[in-house]
Amino acid sequence: MPGGKPLAEPCDVIYIYDGSFEGFLCCVHESVYSRELPQSIVPEGELEPTLFGQRRIETDSEKARKVYASIPAKISKEALGLVRNIFLSCLKDKELATLRFLLKGYRIGAGIMQMLGEADVAVLLKAERHVMHESHLLKGFIRFSDYDGFLAAAITPKNFVLPFIASHFIERFSGEKFMIYDKAHQAALVYRDRKYEIIRPEHIEFPQASETEEKYRELWKRFYDTIAIDARYNPKCRMSHMPKRYWENMTEVKELLKQ
Amino acid sequence: MDIMQKLTILADGAKYDAACTSSGVGRAGGQGIGNTAAGGICHSFSADGRCISLLKVLMTNYCVYDCKYCPNRSGSDVPRTAFTPQELADLTIEFYRRNYIEGLFLSSGILKTPDYTTEQMIKALEFLRYKHNFWGYIHAKTIPGTSPDLVYRMGLLADRISVNIELPSEASLQKLAPNKTKQSILAPMAQIAGGVESGKELVRYKNAPRFAAAGQATQMIIGASPESDYQIIRLASGLYRRYSLRRVFYSAYIPAVEDTLLPSVDTKPPLLREHRLYQADFLMRQYHFDPEEILSEEMPNFNPYLDPKCNWAINNIERFPIDVNRAPHEELLRVPGIGPTSAGRIVTARKTGSLGLAELKRIGVVLKRAKYFIIAKDQPAGLRAGKESTVRALIDPGVFSFGTEQMSLFGPAGGRLALPGAKDVSSIAEAAEEAVLCLAANL
Repeated sequence: MPGGKPLAEPCDVIYIYDGSFEGFLCCVHESVYSRELPQSIVPEGELEPTLFGQRRIETDSEKARKVYASIPAKISKEALGLVRNIFLSCLKDKELATLRFLLKGYRIGAGIMQMLGEADVAVLLKAERHVMHESHLLKGFIRFSDYDGFLAAAITPKNFVLPFIASHFIERFSGEKFMIYDKAHQAALVYRDRKYEIIRPEHIEFPQASETEEKYRELWKRFYDTIAIDARYNPKCRMSHMPKRYWENMTEVKELLKQ
Repeated sequence: MDIMQKLTILADGAKYDAACTSSGVGRAGGQGIGNTAAGGICHSFSADGRCISLLKVLMTNYCVYDCKYCPNRSGSDVPRTAFTPQELADLTIEFYRRNYIEGLFLSSGILKTPDYTTEQMIKALEFLRYKHNFWGYIHAKTIPGTSPDLVYRMGLLADRISVNIELPSEASLQKLAPNKTKQSILAPMAQIAGGVESGKELVRYKNAPRFAAAGQATQMIIGASPESDYQIIRLASGLYRRYSLRRVFYSAYIPAVEDTLLPSVDTKPPLLREHRLYQADFLMRQYHFDPEEILSEEMPNFNPYLDPKCNWAINNIERFPIDVNRAPHEELLRVPGIGPTSAGRIVTARKTGSLGLAELKRIGVVLKRAKYFIIAKDQPAGLRAGKESTVRALIDPGVFSFGTEQMSLFGPAGGRLALPGAKDVSSIAEAAEEAVLCLAANL
């Protein structure tokens, strides 16, 4: 109901949850039913010393299910998609930002997705674009090595991109076996026998590269160095298109970082 | 010769080709190896800041033609080599599996005859498509003088094919590329345009792609010959219309050869000019500008200090300010600082309420430039700024990064806007300020 009584009053409490999406949905449940807007929502283990009171929000799949269903019902399917994407993003305080969006969305309905100039909406859309953009970049920047027919790559992205790049690489390499290891989020996309899963390994050690593998790395580096035109040398332009933080995992520029 | 040496020579010979895009066709994988993404994917960026999407190589750098500007011309003393079709196909697949590339961009010098060379290229592509079952992106460049049935076969194997128009006029072509004629370039272009249009009926194999499903592209060399920017963008606009081209690429001439017909070898490549051409090209393709709106007989060359859209805006200042809460989409697109994306977002967002400057900023409008041209909720009468502050906000900050030599290209000598070259002033800030005063005085 536009103009109705606010659903939530700001209050001096921090919600602590287990870090899962379900757990976050339970924080939304808590906020709505206590009619309060917490100071912050923090995954357990990430809380910094604070003067605010804390409340542990238990994960309850029934509550989570209700909140999940309420988003397409009261706002829209697109809003649910946005909320799910944001949860995989690196947006600072994404939980509170998402909660603010949802509280407003429950009041306004589907129209909130059109309010692109509204701060609570714009901040989420921007973070979602960041996720999509980084996923797009990595579709190009990922470098596999061939270990005896098994393709493996490592990445260190800011956002949790594996779910966004999975279908692209599965289509591309449908007959191959491959793995993309996200070192930053301790997760790996593994595809074999035409099935994929995202696993949570402790640590993955890559084997020594074979001679053939080394040969193709050298060929690729040579191609990379040859294709640049000296008279157009423009390292700033290169860096703006291909930020340095991706270089550590890229065969052709890795060594430039040491210089 | 080993594969490392061959790759070095044949990549070096291909590096001046501007296009390295893999866009224009979306194809899910499933059979064999490979897919394509409609938007294209850049896999790396070379030290010159250009996108590397495809393995860009020549089939061979042997050449019977003697185009003056070309490092591989028959008279040039460079090491020569050729890939075998299988070598090239294997290399492409191994690079592709490692995700180094999105596919292959194959061009070639002319070994024996255009037909013989094209047959070699077709063999390599067939090897890729049918032996390796490769369904990633292929861009192939046709060779002027190739017989139509071979062009047709190539089009069935490639996602995009292109014919280089090489130079922006027939006279320059005659002078600098004596073995190529306008006719030998335009005939395959027309054939490809026809093939792309009727492509749906041309599928021969069950899973084969359509005839050049990603359409055709071309490129021309800028700065080796005397055409004006106006001539060039009119040519590009005509090519887009007549040959349903997807892209025209512009390649700043980099002197590699000493020849009295060419700019001297110490000439700096006209990178700023090339940049302005791409901006104008973008205005024609994405913003519905006509070439006559961008330049004219009276003003045949780009303003170095302003991008073509800002230049249009200050020369049509009487059309502004426009009301972002009411103006139709095509008028929003004309505002400096509003692009296709933010124009679309404005149209969506204003349905839910009137937009002010804060909202526009969150939407992605570049207010630094746009604010001088718009009416918004909290700016109901426009900004009413002086000419000088308007111009100051529009000066392209990139202009000075192209180096001082670039500026002289647009010096008063060529009947162009009499602006100060950076040579005449002691600092960039001073040059920018002089440019502001000069442009404002011209308004």
